[in-house]
Amino acid sequence: MVPALALEVAGMRKAGAIAQGGRFVVLFDPNILIAAIARSGDREAFAALFDHFAPRVKGLLMRGGASAELAEEVAQETLLAVWRKAALFDPSKAGASTWIATIARNLRIDIARRETRSRLSQVYEILDEEAPEQPDATLSGAERDARVRAAMNQLSADQYRVVELAFLEGFSHQDVANRLAIPLGTVKSRLRLALSHLRGRLEDLR
Amino acid sequence: MSTAHRPSDETLAAFAAGQLDEGLAVVVACHVEANRESRQRLRELRAVQGALLDAIEPVAMAAGPRDISGVAQGAPDSPAPVSEAGMPQVLRPYGLGPWRPIGIRIAMRRVEVPGAGARVFMLRAGPGIALPHHKHTGFEWTTILAGAYEHEYGRYAAGDFDEADAEHEHTPRVDPVEGCTCIVAMTGSVQLQGWLGRLLQPLVRF
Repeated sequence: MVPALALEVAGMRKAGAIAQGGRFVVLFDPNILIAAIARSGDREAFAALFDHFAPRVKGLLMRGGASAELAEEVAQETLLAVWRKAALFDPSKAGASTWIATIARNLRIDIARRETRSRLSQVYEILDEEAPEQPDATLSGAERDARVRAAMNQLSADQYRVVELAFLEGFSHQDVANRLAIPLGTVKSRLRLALSHLRGRLEDLR
Repeated sequence: MSTAHRPSDETLAAFAAGQLDEGLAVVVACHVEANRESRQRLRELRAVQGALLDAIEPVAMAAGPRDISGVAQGAPDSPAPVSEAGMPQVLRPYGLGPWRPIGIRIAMRRVEVPGAGARVFMLRAGPGIALPHHKHTGFEWTTILAGAYEHEYGRYAAGDFDEADAEHEHTPRVDPVEGCTCIVAMTGSVQLQGWLGRLLQPLVRF
């Protein structure tokens, strides 16, 4: 199950409002919203997804060093792709955040490498198609996401920053060391610890 | 059974983040398509990206959602061309040159990767051939597509990934029974030695 993020947002009926302690707590469940778009082109669901994810995609891109203009464009295109591809979303393969982060990565590559006629995003899409999960052998996408998220929450701030630079921005270990002005060995040991922590969380259910 | 040769976590992270030169990325993708363990690692790295998206500080969008009135849902992206028989699916987006003999029982074909800094080509060698002994200044990444070769660092069979940089200097020997077909991406300048090296030199020069 995807742990829903509890948000107090008014007017998000589509997301399912639950009365709790006298207040309305709206459970923001992106899976339900994406399903509603796929089923009936639900525009309210789209607006709710946009409000939640577009500013985060923009923040993620800017964290990765993109300009505000590029980040805004990628965020817009990403949500547009979510609208178009909603029917292709398969929660058993990846959770909603992971699916959306992947779309954003592919669009960032397309836009950044437009002049060179890059086909890299097609390569990623082919890998996704060609490599179906074996549900009985691996975690479901949503479950994997929940475990990774829990593990990430336990990283120290130092570890988190190293993971962010290496896994989000794809910096080499040497570049991470230069950027943070710490020794290369420190980068490697922090990443090793972070990875073994993540894998420890993932492997017991494999 | 020997252990499969796989890319380092650093390389897979750069691949997952979309930061690799496209030529190098194509060779990694050929490996990922064939290797279950690396596919699993990539899914984990994508889940990390999803978790980073969840945790990121949102940045307000300058504009609201675009008008989606005219945007068709489920519109598939234009399909990549069908792959040639026996070739990895991830090469579908790229043009492949003809096989050209470059010596006795050894042939090469170019893989056209627009915008790549690395030169990408396939090499097909008959059983027992010693590939050219060489030195280089950049990276030389190889994925074995069929057959096998062996050098100082071990035996590399179909699906294996061989990540060599300027520190490595090796002379692969092709499997005496199966021969070997591989895809290679090279950056920097290469100095090939020996008779085969002289034949290959014009094809890999920058």
